[in-house]
Amino acid sequence: MRLGMVIDLDRCIGCRSCAVACKSHNAQPPGTWWNRVFTPGASFHQAAVGKDGNLQMESLPVSCQMCDNPACQKVCPSGATYTDERGVVLIDYERCIGCRYCIAACPYGVRQYNWEDPKKAKARVGYEKGYDYGYPADFRDKDGKLVFTPNRPVGVVEKCTFCAQYTSRGEQPACVQGCPGKVRIFGDLDDPSSEVSKLIRKRPTVRLKEELGTSPKVFYLAPTKPIR
Amino acid sequence: MKKSNFLLGLAGALILISLIAWGYQVKNGLIVTNMRNSFSWGLYIATFAFFVGVAAGGLIVSSSVYLFNIEKLKPFTRIASLSAFASILGAGAMIFPDMGRVERVWNIFVYPNFKSPLVWDVIVISAYLLITFLSVYVQLLPDWKNEGSGFLNGWTKARSQAYVDAFSKKWSKRVALVGLPVAILIHTVTALIFATQESRGWWNTAVLPPDFVSVAVASGTALVLVIALIAVGKDQFDQYKGAFQTMALIVAGSLVVHFFFVSVDLIIHGWSGNPEGEEILSLIFGHYGYLYATELLLPAFTMIFFFTEKGKSSYKALMIGSLLLFIGVFAHRLMLMYPAFNAFPLSLSIPGAEIESWAYPVAIGQLQEGAPVFVNSWAYSPTLIEYAVALLPFGLVLFVVTAALKMYNFLPQKRGM
Repeated sequence: MRLGMVIDLDRCIGCRSCAVACKSHNAQPPGTWWNRVFTPGASFHQAAVGKDGNLQMESLPVSCQMCDNPACQKVCPSGATYTDERGVVLIDYERCIGCRYCIAACPYGVRQYNWEDPKKAKARVGYEKGYDYGYPADFRDKDGKLVFTPNRPVGVVEKCTFCAQYTSRGEQPACVQGCPGKVRIFGDLDDPSSEVSKLIRKRPTVRLKEELGTSPKVFYLAPTKPIR
Repeated sequence: MKKSNFLLGLAGALILISLIAWGYQVKNGLIVTNMRNSFSWGLYIATFAFFVGVAAGGLIVSSSVYLFNIEKLKPFTRIASLSAFASILGAGAMIFPDMGRVERVWNIFVYPNFKSPLVWDVIVISAYLLITFLSVYVQLLPDWKNEGSGFLNGWTKARSQAYVDAFSKKWSKRVALVGLPVAILIHTVTALIFATQESRGWWNTAVLPPDFVSVAVASGTALVLVIALIAVGKDQFDQYKGAFQTMALIVAGSLVVHFFFVSVDLIIHGWSGNPEGEEILSLIFGHYGYLYATELLLPAFTMIFFFTEKGKSSYKALMIGSLLLFIGVFAHRLMLMYPAFNAFPLSLSIPGAEIESWAYPVAIGQLQEGAPVFVNSWAYSPTLIEYAVALLPFGLVLFVVTAALKMYNFLPQKRGM
């Protein structure tokens, strides 16, 4: 099994619902975003770019690209970052030493650091006391590695887990469930009859920074909007 | 003696300040630094790289004595080994405050990932720490035997002075010869931490490891030169002039090699004319122009100065040239970070909109009134806490060198010259 995702750029409207769903389901502390949506070329989101009246506007969601050849995993000195048997790149929050080498190595800027204790960060920015958002329990993989906990330890790196707490029991990741445009399709790239495999065969796809040899498992269906 | 007590007090103060600042950082997290997700390594790693660099001197000087028969340098092999030991100790110590979970660092030893250049660096730096310690130890053994001082030398009590002298001579040479490749390796591997990363165009070049070696030979020899000048003093300068001039030439010569590497690197970045290359050039010559000028001009001055008769013939000239070089090399280490982190790897060109390079914003990892959550450039400048923590290796090197020079004889009197 090799879990991957297809993102249909023709359908994305840049609403950022996926980013919000991701953030709340995964209890991300203030200032941390595993999943981002921006308008390439624009200095702020949802602004068209172009010249002489030839304006265009695309939205590009970016989260962990779940590389088959992950730079972050190769540099991790303590083996805290690893790829599980489903091809998902994960971080063991109990083994990470916080050296941040992986943040330097990742070309996609998806790795996020706990610069302070998330509880302190939430209190400082004025989140209501006693209000906890996100999946409420710890989630450990089959070897007992802690890959999700609602309040991350200070000084460790975190990132998208393909919602390990949900997908391990056959459910969809929060971004897929939360997308109003059915932009995201999640499935097994090794299974030729899965929807992701079919779409990749049928439509032209783009992977980000493919030239770096990272072999991402997130495929973007190139926008095909007729312009003329 | 008074001077050394003052220096020891100063070193103690530096160490104390840095430990207090580090304690504050452990309590609050690395939020007290100005590093953020988009700029995740800063002053600590630059300082670490600086001290790895100056740690080269020891075995460069000792091994030139044995390999190239530069007899003039022989009186300074002890000082050279001491400076190497102190510097690598400082470099090693600097790494710990950069770790978010310093109490888990043992995970590197229990679950090492041998693909990670960081693991290779832990191995070679530990080896170098041991080798430089042994180098100092075997060279001091005869004196310790003679004076009845020292430590870890109980086994020499039953031996004769002549035996210990011969043992020291034999093993000083052996340690120096084993140490030389390890000295080259600490720079190579430290550079590989950066050079292997395809995500960062500024680092991802095969010229980085040899360039690290050339900068290390220059700055490491300069540190030996400075310590030797202080240990000898102005009055006896003429007695050792030949050795000082040889070291100045080693510094200047390796800077020539460094500038050669810098030039070919810049040509490669500039030649292609692609947006990535142009972004790097605009960062180093534009946004960080002053820092880059410091990195280039100060060592260039030292290089030329040390080739002139005036530059290498007086105590003051050698001291000034070396200090300017240290500032330049420190700027060089800081410039490892700025163009690497502020050229965002995920940049896209937008066909039709004539946008050649647009960096995909990164969440900084902190929510603060008036500050952006997503950025595509981060104006990193270290906080006061970071400066304080980064005093640790400076304090350690000053402490170890001063204490050792005070306690033992590192400048053997010349016999039969």
